[in-house]
Amino acid sequence: MKVGKLIHLKEFLEDAKNGNVDIGEFTAKVFSETKKIQEKFAPFITINDSIGELKKGRIFPLPISVKDCICTKGIKTTAGSKILDSYMPPFDATSVSKVKENGGFVLGKTAQDEFGFGTFSTNCAYSVPKNPYDRERSCGGSSGGAACITAAATFPHVAIAESTGGSITAPAAFTGTVGLTPTYGRISRYGLIDYSNSMDKIGVIGKEVFDAALLFSVISGYDPLDSTSSKVETKDFTRFIEKDIKGMKVGIPKEYFEGIDEKIAKNIMERAASLESLGAELVDISLPLTKFSLPSYYLIAMSEASTNLARYSGLRYGLQENVSGNFSEYFSDIREKGFGKEAKRRIMLGTYARAAGFREAYYIKALKVRQLIINEFKNAFGKVDVLLAPSMPITAPKFSEIENLTPLQIYNIDKLTTAPNMAGIPTISVPAGTVSGLPVGVQFMANYFDEEKLISVASAIQK
Amino acid sequence: MIYMVKIGLEIHCQLNTKSKLFCSCSTNISEKEPNSETCPVCLGFPGYKPVVNKKAIDFTIGIGIALGCTISNETFFSRKTYFYPDMSKNFQITQYEIPIATGGSIDIEGNKIRIRRVHLEEDPAKIVYANGDISTTEYTLIDYNRSGIPLAEIVTEPDIETPKEARKLLEKISAILEYLNVYDVSKEASLRVDANISSEGERVEIKNITGFENVEKALSYEVIRQKSMTRMKKVIERETRHFDETTRTTKGLRKKEYEEDYGYIFDPDLPSIRIDDAWINSIKDNLPELPDNKVKRFVGEYKISDYDAGVIAYTGKDMADFFEDCCKIYKRYDNISKWIINYLLKSLNWNSQKVSESKVKPNTFIELLEIMDNGEITERYAKELIKEYVDSGISPRALAKKNEFKVTDAELKKTVEGILKENEKALEDLKAGKENAKQYIIGLVLKATNNQANPKLIIKIMEELIH
Repeated sequence: MKVGKLIHLKEFLEDAKNGNVDIGEFTAKVFSETKKIQEKFAPFITINDSIGELKKGRIFPLPISVKDCICTKGIKTTAGSKILDSYMPPFDATSVSKVKENGGFVLGKTAQDEFGFGTFSTNCAYSVPKNPYDRERSCGGSSGGAACITAAATFPHVAIAESTGGSITAPAAFTGTVGLTPTYGRISRYGLIDYSNSMDKIGVIGKEVFDAALLFSVISGYDPLDSTSSKVETKDFTRFIEKDIKGMKVGIPKEYFEGIDEKIAKNIMERAASLESLGAELVDISLPLTKFSLPSYYLIAMSEASTNLARYSGLRYGLQENVSGNFSEYFSDIREKGFGKEAKRRIMLGTYARAAGFREAYYIKALKVRQLIINEFKNAFGKVDVLLAPSMPITAPKFSEIENLTPLQIYNIDKLTTAPNMAGIPTISVPAGTVSGLPVGVQFMANYFDEEKLISVASAIQK
Repeated sequence: MIYMVKIGLEIHCQLNTKSKLFCSCSTNISEKEPNSETCPVCLGFPGYKPVVNKKAIDFTIGIGIALGCTISNETFFSRKTYFYPDMSKNFQITQYEIPIATGGSIDIEGNKIRIRRVHLEEDPAKIVYANGDISTTEYTLIDYNRSGIPLAEIVTEPDIETPKEARKLLEKISAILEYLNVYDVSKEASLRVDANISSEGERVEIKNITGFENVEKALSYEVIRQKSMTRMKKVIERETRHFDETTRTTKGLRKKEYEEDYGYIFDPDLPSIRIDDAWINSIKDNLPELPDNKVKRFVGEYKISDYDAGVIAYTGKDMADFFEDCCKIYKRYDNISKWIINYLLKSLNWNSQKVSESKVKPNTFIELLEIMDNGEITERYAKELIKEYVDSGISPRALAKKNEFKVTDAELKKTVEGILKENEKALEDLKAGKENAKQYIIGLVLKATNNQANPKLIIKIMEELIH
């Protein structure tokens, strides 16, 4: 195992606050280490070279990596796509400005599948991040770079990631890190380059539950610049670390264990048993609509994505060429050159799913299924506090294995994450040991705005 | 052979909110440098999110109520996707399934024109063709200042039967919108119309016509074109045409073989909006008096004719207010309406002015009627004087006085003597005390003096001469 050593953030921040950290020395070390990690595992598309003056805030002087689909003022932001080659946003996303206000700084922009279109961070126009456990293997996706640097960091660091259908849980599980996907609307999407706006959620990946809880506390909260931002008040979620879980009802949904690698399932059930020993009550539960989540998720995601991507026409930003031919010829040429294969596939499928004559059968029907799945979760959370399931049905695959998968086989790997993601409920993925030397993740899901329960149960299991 | 013509209009009204529909850029873009009133939201930059301008929803609710529509209790925005250079995102944020208002109607001289819906959407950017012509231009420039300005789109059912009726409907809707104070009548292109017309064959759409006169012209041309097509046994195909203002003809833009596919989805950045009864009522309670209600009130309160009240109310809110201000200081209301409609409006129209933009004020206008009433000037002279008054705004009495001295008393006496000599019959009648003759002679004298004489003085001279 070549992953970076564990530094407890709480102690580090305490030291920094007391003036026991030489900031110049610290940041120099961070960047020299980052360079080494980049050479070995390629988690970044861009490494930031000017961090400016740091504010003395709650996370001073913490380096934060930011997924490349999140806008950073004056730092190239491509969302992993050639079509946004050399795009410099004129502003910071709300989550990024909150990091800066609280004393953190942007370490760099992490690699991802183009616009978030992938499960393995292999649909990348730029660097493909390599798994710190085995460089032949994927980090998962689409927030692969975020998980990669989190696992590999030899210095204090937390990542801002993003999930639409499982893009935080998958890479967290494959790299042995903690990935928190909050309730939809809890972290402002202002400054997030859209994939599927009704499901896109900014979240965090850290080495420990504390790290994730800390950064989540800092960047969450209502933002008038995002109309879907929730007014539910944010709080200091680190307070819920290791809170007693005696009496907590943990649901085990049987559908999430069907067709799962047996060794993974065994690991997960061992974790469940350990919770029982801490006083939690395990409850068998069934979520029969789970199997419909995958197709509905992809229909909604692709429908929305195909409209979001329409704006990239080489006119005002991103990839541009000398104008020739008429408008249609020009933008078709730019889009042909700028989009990767998976982006083109999703534009075509998404356009089809919302086209007149098919719209009712695909797009509208998928929205109805989403509502039913939301109801099913709400119903379940009337009976239990959290749900426990494997994060992913497999461990990190080799790049050579991924090459042989069909798009449908790849989409299928998301089957454990699409339901909670399309419902917009919060989830957390925590390391649950290893199978054949590769990390396994266990995920917890909770009702809307119940992140504190996730943090309590996840920190209990981590212990 | 009788041709049945069916016309339906889509009327796009630029709302005069202070800021754009989804960002804080100003909507005041006239005479602004191209692309100066823009931000990353209305330019469609990645990462930015729209935030709806509530005022624009208020305005659209107001329009819906004024057109007799039902206001939806829940409404939302959708994305209409098509690639066009004036679209900053290549989708337009508009309303599809549930618009803000549905199912109203407007009466045009007894014909009820149904309003299908009123919805809110963002205006695309403005396209400037290098040589001003869409079909032969070499390149195209785009001005995003207009991108994101709120548009209320009013869609009628195809209930309009003639091009003239289409124009009347537009004039009526324009007056209503002006009363609501939701759009700026004086702004170039603040009302744009797409007209659908079908007579013998398929429906033809004429896109983006500005000006009510142009709408009538475009439709009239189209009626004739379609008639002659039919006479020549040609098939009228479904197509989109463009109106050329200089040649006053329509030209084919593209054939439509099937319904456009805009691939509508719900806009996932904008949560649905609940419009509860309290919201609707607060707008209803604050609506200004609308022109139809004004007409009714004017007829009842001032006892003027339906026709007069209609002309005054629909000329514009400023004219209606002007009329009422006049009524406060002068009680012969029918005389006010008569003089507004027959003379004041003509002079204003001649100058292409609205009364509020002119130098005409209630007190001076009423002075004109008063000096006519008390015989200081004749009606005939007043008709002449009003032109000068509208141009200058100078008090009519002062104007009359100024003009009076142009003919000296001696000259006038000579003129009257001469005219009486030439009109023996009139002189006899005059001696017999016939009023007709008196007016006739005054008329002749005024004519001879180019209206430069004081009628009172003419009478005095006449009386001296016959006694």
